[in-house]
Amino acid sequence: MSRFERKILFAIGLSVFLTLGGSIFLARGALREVYRVGVNERFGAELVHGVEARRGQLMALRSGSEQAADAVEWAVEAELAKRRHTSKLDALLQDLLGRYAMVQGIRVEDAAGREVASVAREADPSSAVMRTTTRDREVETGGGKLRIAVEVAVPEVYFERLQEAGEVADVYSRLQRQSASVSDVYVWAFGLMAFLVIVVAFLIGAVVSRRVTRRVTALAEASRQVGAGDLTVTLPTGAKDEVTELTQAFNDMVSDLHDSRTRIEYLQRISAWQDFARRLAHEIKNPLTPIQLAAQELDDTYDGENEAYRKKLKHARAIIEEEVATLRRLVGEFSAFAKLPRADLTPSDLCDLSHSIQDSVPAILEDVGQGTPAPVEVRVSCATEPIYVRMDPMMLKRGVDNLLRNAIQAVHEKHPSGGGRVLVRAYGTRTAGFIEVRDNGPGVPKEDWDRVFDPYYTSKAEGTGLGLAIVKKVVLEHGGEVRLDRAPEGGARFSIELPLMET
Amino acid sequence: MRYWLAALVLLTATVAQSQLPLRDFGVTWSRGAPKVSFSAKDLADERVRNELSSGLRKRLVVTVGSHLKGSNWRMAVRQFGCDVTLDLWDDDYLVRIGNHSERLKTLDDVLNRCLAVEGLFAGEPGSYDPQKGREMYFVVKAEFNPISKKQCSELIRPTSGGDPIGPITINIVRRRICRSERTIEFRSKYLKVPE
Repeated sequence: MSRFERKILFAIGLSVFLTLGGSIFLARGALREVYRVGVNERFGAELVHGVEARRGQLMALRSGSEQAADAVEWAVEAELAKRRHTSKLDALLQDLLGRYAMVQGIRVEDAAGREVASVAREADPSSAVMRTTTRDREVETGGGKLRIAVEVAVPEVYFERLQEAGEVADVYSRLQRQSASVSDVYVWAFGLMAFLVIVVAFLIGAVVSRRVTRRVTALAEASRQVGAGDLTVTLPTGAKDEVTELTQAFNDMVSDLHDSRTRIEYLQRISAWQDFARRLAHEIKNPLTPIQLAAQELDDTYDGENEAYRKKLKHARAIIEEEVATLRRLVGEFSAFAKLPRADLTPSDLCDLSHSIQDSVPAILEDVGQGTPAPVEVRVSCATEPIYVRMDPMMLKRGVDNLLRNAIQAVHEKHPSGGGRVLVRAYGTRTAGFIEVRDNGPGVPKEDWDRVFDPYYTSKAEGTGLGLAIVKKVVLEHGGEVRLDRAPEGGARFSIELPLMET
Repeated sequence: MRYWLAALVLLTATVAQSQLPLRDFGVTWSRGAPKVSFSAKDLADERVRNELSSGLRKRLVVTVGSHLKGSNWRMAVRQFGCDVTLDLWDDDYLVRIGNHSERLKTLDDVLNRCLAVEGLFAGEPGSYDPQKGREMYFVVKAEFNPISKKQCSELIRPTSGGDPIGPITINIVRRRICRSERTIEFRSKYLKVPE
């Protein structure tokens, strides 16, 4: 793990810990306070008192039922003591039934279980559900014991309410006992969540910081490679962030370095070739005149009778003069190549250049057609808006003339009786100006695209291989690029790209 | 790592269970299943007796589990519970076991009925068939007044809202609040599952 990653992770861990730790501390205090207010002993005691009160109510009702049974017993006993017979008990029991609301019925039996008297309250279907029970009493009479069964009842709801109050008090009492631990549970849950958040934050932080450090490390390694001279290094660009921008800038810088080095190397090579051409021209040019004069003198001064020898002399003179002329032309071209001046750049409109090229088209056509204009359709076009670049119009025209001449020659060879077309087009984009020369000639084989700009490379029988080298030198001195590819018409397309002038 | 943790938890539980106090069990086998007899009446200490005589409904639950020796895995389990209420009107105890209710005169009758177990089938024969000849033991857990899961859920409901840890904490709190007020646990000696 790098130092950067450790720092990032430490910062993440610290911020999460402080934030969640603080919130846990506050939440713990708040929870304890809430429980202290909401779950306190007074409420619990009141609930227990409520249960006791309901129990006391039931016990009072039970006591009341016992007292009612006792009252019935005493009344029956008193009645029997007064009258000594049981025939009038029904009226007494009816009276007692009316007097005690809790009593639902009274039945008096003798010792043998025979009913002596009984009364019962009429059932009321609308009344609440009742719980009934029988309170038994015994009365001693002269003729034996009497059993008095007093049926008493209370609404069932009293029992249900007692149970409900008991359940609530029970749960509250449990809650009260657990109140401290309940807040602890919340704190533990918060703590667990904080731990999980820290772990997740660490993982995310590790992944993100590792991605950044990996890319920074790759940048450092690539910089070392560039420092060692490898300008083919490119780094992949991914997500849109600052590191990607840095990587993109690095790639652009390396690409520019590569282009600059290629350009410098080419210009150095051209310069060497120019030096060579200059020496060659000098060495060849000097002996040409003596050679020609010597041949002419040999022919002119022969006064012998041998006709055959005279003929040979004349033939040799003609050959020497023709070859000397060819050599003079080559020397001229070499000399021109050697004396190629450096471009003097001034702000100019590419469309003006295209107009001057248009003017030279008839001469080139006539030159290629060797006296009569070659049957080739040449169109020169330019955008309506000016395309301002820094250029040496003379030098650049010379270069484009070379391209135009090559194109006309190529299409003329392929279409000697007409049908050849050449298009010269000047146009601009937001960043560059372009001059394009394309044709429907035979084109250039793809394997030769990289070599056509090398000096002395030619595919023509009488070519010197200097034309395209001159074009490339001129374009490079303009800070531009020249490229070759296949034209939409099927022939070759040469594109000259020049940087637009900054406005 | 997690396998080691799981093994540690299992081992701890097994050791904890083997440390339970021993108690005499009557065990007879009938049609491939054990019938167990034991007493857990000591669950009813003074406080439990007072609570059972309070007139409020209280619950006694007995759970019998059978385990292989050296293992925490439960082969079979049987549970039964009594709802006990002292009837303040009739001064007797109403005991409800499942759908069946009966009235008992004294608290001792109630404890005999609910905590003194006689001939209780502890599981189905199918649970014991694969373990024939192996050593096993019974574990009994007797609880006073646990609140059932259903009743507990009804009593303590999570608050509405988007609180992400609320349901988790409510579950933990529920578990704590609704656990029994008194629990005893014990186990039998080792015995063999008949061949």
